Amino acid sequence: MPSPAISFAALLRGTRVRSYANRLPLFTRLVLVAIVVFWVLGLVPVLDLRNWGALVPDLVGITTLYRLNTFPFIHLNLFHAVMNILALIPLLERFEAEYGTLTSLALFFGPFATLPAFIYLFIEKFVLRANTSVMGASIWVFLLLGIEAIRTYKMNPYLVVGTHNIPTWTTPIALLLCVAALVPSSSFLGHLSGLAVGYFCGLGYLKYLAPPEKALRFVESKLNLLGRLPHYVSLDQKTYGRFGVLPTSGSPPPRSSGVALGMVGSSQRLGPSQNDWLHSMSSSGVLRIRRDPRLLKLPPYLSLLCIVVGVVWLFLLPLDDYSRRTYISENALLPGQVHTYFGGSDQNVFRAYKHETGGLVGKSNIEINDGLETIVKSIGLKTSRQNFTYQSAGRVYSGENLYAILQAPRGDATEAIVLVAAWENVKGEHNRNGIPLILTLARYFKRWSLWSKDIIFLVTPDSIAGPQAWVDAYHDAHDSSRVDSLPLKSGALQGAIALDYAQEGRFESVHIVYDGVNGQLPNLDLINSVNSIAGGQMGMGVSIQEMWHHNDQYPDRLRTMLRGMLKQGLGLASGPHSSFIPYHVDAVTLQPFGIGWQDEMAMGRVVEGTFRSLNNLLEHLHQSFFFYLLMQRERFVSIGTYLPSAMLVAANFTIMAIALWVKSGQPVQNAKKEPEQDGSDGNPSTPAVERDLFLPLGVVTLCQFLAVVPLYLFNHATESMLTPTFTIFAVLNTLLPFALSQYLTQYHAPTTQQYQLIKSFSLLLLGMFLSSLATLNFSLALIIGLLAAPLTFMRPFPTSPAARFLCASLLNAVSPTAALLIATAVWRGLDVSTILRGAAFAWDVCGMYTPVVVWCVWWPAWMAGSLVVLGRPEERKVKTL
Amino acid sequence: MRRLLSFLLLFVVPLFAHASDYHEQLVLRPLPLSTLLASFNFRSNISFSAFEAHNFRLFPRSLGQILQHANTHELHLRFSLGRWDAHSWGARPWDGAREGGTGVELWAWLEAETDEEANRKWRTLTNALSGLFCASLNFIDETRTTRPVMSFQPEGNHPNSTTENTHLLYGVLPHEVVCTENLTPFLKLLPCKGKVGIATLLDGHKLFDASWQSMAIDVRPRCPESGECVLEIEQTIDMVLDIDRSKRPRDNPIPRPPPGHELKCNTSKEYYSDNTCYPTDHATNQDFSLSQIFGKLMKGTCPLADPNVPPVCLEIPDSRNVYTTQGAQEKKNPDGKSRCFEIGPDTDFELVVPRAEKNEETPDVAVEEIVTPETPLLYAERSFTGHGQERGGVQTILRNPSPDTEVEFIYMETLPWFMRIYLHTIEARIEGDTGKSPSLIQETYYRPAVDRARGTQLELRMRIPPASTVFLTYDFEKSILRYTEYPPDANRGFDVAAAVITILNPDQNGTNFAVYNLRTTSLLCSLPTPDFSMPYNVIIFTSTAIALAFGGMFNILVRRFVAADEGPEMGLAARVKERIGAKFGWIAELVGKKGKGEEKTGEEKKG
Repeated sequence: MPSPAISFAALLRGTRVRSYANRLPLFTRLVLVAIVVFWVLGLVPVLDLRNWGALVPDLVGITTLYRLNTFPFIHLNLFHAVMNILALIPLLERFEAEYGTLTSLALFFGPFATLPAFIYLFIEKFVLRANTSVMGASIWVFLLLGIEAIRTYKMNPYLVVGTHNIPTWTTPIALLLCVAALVPSSSFLGHLSGLAVGYFCGLGYLKYLAPPEKALRFVESKLNLLGRLPHYVSLDQKTYGRFGVLPTSGSPPPRSSGVALGMVGSSQRLGPSQNDWLHSMSSSGVLRIRRDPRLLKLPPYLSLLCIVVGVVWLFLLPLDDYSRRTYISENALLPGQVHTYFGGSDQNVFRAYKHETGGLVGKSNIEINDGLETIVKSIGLKTSRQNFTYQSAGRVYSGENLYAILQAPRGDATEAIVLVAAWENVKGEHNRNGIPLILTLARYFKRWSLWSKDIIFLVTPDSIAGPQAWVDAYHDAHDSSRVDSLPLKSGALQGAIALDYAQEGRFESVHIVYDGVNGQLPNLDLINSVNSIAGGQMGMGVSIQEMWHHNDQYPDRLRTMLRGMLKQGLGLASGPHSSFIPYHVDAVTLQPFGIGWQDEMAMGRVVEGTFRSLNNLLEHLHQSFFFYLLMQRERFVSIGTYLPSAMLVAANFTIMAIALWVKSGQPVQNAKKEPEQDGSDGNPSTPAVERDLFLPLGVVTLCQFLAVVPLYLFNHATESMLTPTFTIFAVLNTLLPFALSQYLTQYHAPTTQQYQLIKSFSLLLLGMFLSSLATLNFSLALIIGLLAAPLTFMRPFPTSPAARFLCASLLNAVSPTAALLIATAVWRGLDVSTILRGAAFAWDVCGMYTPVVVWCVWWPAWMAGSLVVLGRPEERKVKTL
Repeated sequence: MRRLLSFLLLFVVPLFAHASDYHEQLVLRPLPLSTLLASFNFRSNISFSAFEAHNFRLFPRSLGQILQHANTHELHLRFSLGRWDAHSWGARPWDGAREGGTGVELWAWLEAETDEEANRKWRTLTNALSGLFCASLNFIDETRTTRPVMSFQPEGNHPNSTTENTHLLYGVLPHEVVCTENLTPFLKLLPCKGKVGIATLLDGHKLFDASWQSMAIDVRPRCPESGECVLEIEQTIDMVLDIDRSKRPRDNPIPRPPPGHELKCNTSKEYYSDNTCYPTDHATNQDFSLSQIFGKLMKGTCPLADPNVPPVCLEIPDSRNVYTTQGAQEKKNPDGKSRCFEIGPDTDFELVVPRAEKNEETPDVAVEEIVTPETPLLYAERSFTGHGQERGGVQTILRNPSPDTEVEFIYMETLPWFMRIYLHTIEARIEGDTGKSPSLIQETYYRPAVDRARGTQLELRMRIPPASTVFLTYDFEKSILRYTEYPPDANRGFDVAAAVITILNPDQNGTNFAVYNLRTTSLLCSLPTPDFSMPYNVIIFTSTAIALAFGGMFNILVRRFVAADEGPEMGLAARVKERIGAKFGWIAELVGKKGKGEEKTGEEKKG
């Protein structure tokens, strides 16, 4: 069997094929020529060669015994001939190389042709009593395969497939069956007889048929065949066997010539060529690449490529080919499959409740809850209250939650769904219609007996702190000194819908708010259900991400996606639902908007439909996606599609860090000028440079530790102090790199290598943090990654102060503080203190980790980058190992 | 409720005297928030001798044979659905003795020489009952079976000779959903089969629409002071019906909003108008009739039943009017809070309870409408604490409402093995106290779980001081199941059976071991669940591929390749030769036989 390495290597270069052909031994060539000649003669119709030479059982007599020898050379057509030649040549060549030309000649014109023919004739004529003529060299192919298989079997008896041991000698049989099945008009019996003879030969029973050694040697020496015939494989050469021509240490093969022309015997086939191939692969190939100085020039370009591809990838996502239509994955939800009955006289009740709640506006939280509790109790629900107090940025956020549990009529308090309405929505508007609507819905839901889960109605004084306190306490994750425990509880929460209905008058569409704290998202099935109920069943418009009009074209999709990513990246709570999501309770807020003809009852029916769907759930929502980007209400990309974008951006830092590490271990330029570029000349000691790790590690650690300062400052300053603190910090932040850099150069005088290492470590950390973060909060990782991208390309400019200050100012433009200032400039109406207060509130109440990422991941990397840019490396003698 | 029981005993006691074998009774009791408790009770018995002789008359033969086959002396089977709202409805019917936790609960005293034999018989019993009641009782395997030590005492009179060999086994299936297919076999056990008598009112649609319902079967031996011991079977169905919901016609059960003019509004509100209505309907009690809430009339009485026991009783203040069909005799009870009705054998019985008229604007109207429910001895609520997939906690809030008596009870938990509880975290503290109060838990019996073999059994004897609330908490760890151990709905969670609370009789000499029983609700415990979906498999495969590729990449990156001529003196060629020699040595042998000769010839030549 031809060695795959050889055929592969040979195919790599045409020269190999040619050299292989050149080295074919004599008998093989003869057979080849004979086959070709017979085929050409077969083209002449007069000769009727096929009839003359084929092995036709009925025609074989004493006078036609020549057929026993001629049939292997005769072929049916060109295809037959070519296929047989291709299969036969490597096998025959190997055989000849091992046994010599004379032996091959004797065997192939003797027993190897006649024995299979006899077997075939016997079976065909006397057993099967048929008369099928056979021809072609394939009988030899199988014969030789049989010999090879027996050898393989002796060395390697079993082929282990799973738990089965398949004997290796069966492989030709498998091939035989394949050929019989796949190749039309192939003679199974003929091949089988060839194979049988091959097996016999392989087992050593036929070696007595080979001509005696002495006679052959005599003939050879008398006729001086070796001298006269080209490509002749002599008896002496064959004693090398198959592997006798391996290069010895005394005669290293010349690497330049892939062909072993030096040897006369073609039996060198396996020796030098394979060795050479391996050799070039190992020494010249990988090592040369590894030591190629150009390799170290590549990483900056690679990093840039990563960033560019990452960004382009992001912009491809809204295209139809990359985004998908949403679909309901959890079949139990059956959204929009039930009739909704909320309406009719319920509207009268709604109006009354609206009057009642309207009368409570402006009263204290306790009075409001008293009023609401009377109504809820009259509906027949159990109510309870919960006090909470949070402190953030010097402000106290306190209030009292009121909640009621509608016990599932036949349930047993194992599962629950929540309907939330905050007294004030995120913007501070009174939830004018939302509160009466959930009261009316509570009354309506009470009439149904089909609930399989308890329904909890929760009214909170505000949209963020109240729900957060309640959910924390529900899961016993609260600080009991600030937040009361819940006296009344139900089972595991399966879903939550929040109503934010401050708008007066009839509305047109529903806006689904779905962003959770820290960019966590509810299960896509929930959004899809609401979408399908509101959009499909109720015929309302549905919008997301404040895209009031969406034409489902690329720009709108991109805008929706980017808005979603920005919100996700900031990680702020966007409504009462946000607090539920970290506890794996899927939740959305529904907001009516626009002027249309849908009334409050329609909104109630949307909630009713959604609750009926959630009520159907047998299992917790788990089927659909938790990581997705929505770009239209019915289009999304899932994590598998978008993640590479952020990962590539994060990878650019890692690539650069590794490159710098490698680079820092190499001698500086003048040392590299030495001419020893060829690594294969037996000089194993490539110069390695000792890395001075202490200073770089110290600097990076210092930067990381300094990050605690802004984190602490901005989360603990009182509200009035936030703006001054920020101003001072921003100024200090600009000056600090200069001061630190001055200090470093003054007292430590870092070398280029140390600057490389500083950058390497800081980028390594950045890359690591960001790639981990990308799996949790993709958008945040991407935003930080892009803002920090210039850090990859920063390096010290020892000679050019202009470039140094240019880069330093560029870095200052993308510093965390500058980014905050730019954000306030871009979004009018935001000022620094609002942003910082919001961040501190989210940090204190919701546990938002965006400040940690900004101050402890981005800022230290930025600081280290600034130090590198401002660095003035000192050229020192580098120690070499 | 105890009053009810004593009231019933009035009839039960003569029952033995007359040796009447069967009686049935329906007690209706309106509860607050327009609900109605309906308690059906059927009781029959068989003498031991008749039982031994397979001479079943009123005792159901199917059940009797199972009991004989499994050597069961006493059997209690419960099918329950929903929860009893103790805060609104007060004490439980039958003092909680006839109810179980959500799902199916079974406990029995079996006679067996050894534990193994008891287990075998228990298995026989559960499998047979499973077939009889169309319930998955056969899933009560070793992991769900416990042997309570303190919580249960036999209700019947067992001869002393057998007590040593009787084993109490207790099994519970919290996930089992009780439904019509369990009711039908239940009714078949009755002598009148639901064709006549109060059992005609039992209809699957109404029963399983109830807010709470419990079906119980109790079989126990009873030995009167004089006379032969009998085996008594008592079948009980209790249900709490929401009157509003039950009154909806069966062909139109959808609670559509009523037309605006039918809404009962609070007209005193200043904004009241045609289209604005502050509803008042939930505040008042509803009127109801038997046919409205059960969907049909009661068809006569069961001819086999003891005629001395009135078939229908109504617990309602005497002040309220009740209308019945002709021929039914109303008998008011002397306590002024209940009345019973004697019904002719073939008459269809209807009972109408109209809305209580408000003759004067008296403030205590609500008191007059219904009999105020009794306060239960203990309130119990159990819920999970904590979140996440690794650990969790269980918190039970136990409240003793009595201002002056303390309550002693046994709290029993049967937990599945995959909830590994941390016993040292068990803590009981009285609300308001900061530290834990060691005196609350007086005795602990704990049998730890064995993975995949048996569940945890925890019994605590506790004492709660008057008018105090106790928080009983403990933590547990969730174990990771094997891939195949997850049910098809793995993400739903795993049901944890209700805790059984048995309040002990304060005077230990009393005949009753327990004065009151209650069950908490069951819990749904979510375990770490692998993602069984296709993306999960894709991720696994991809990760594997990356891990494999990483190995190779890392190898190439860190390994220093040295070409043959660069290497040490031995040389690659020699090594390769050696390796190939080792690998292909057999070829040399194969060719060898010829080769050897050649070599020899070569040598000869050389020589």
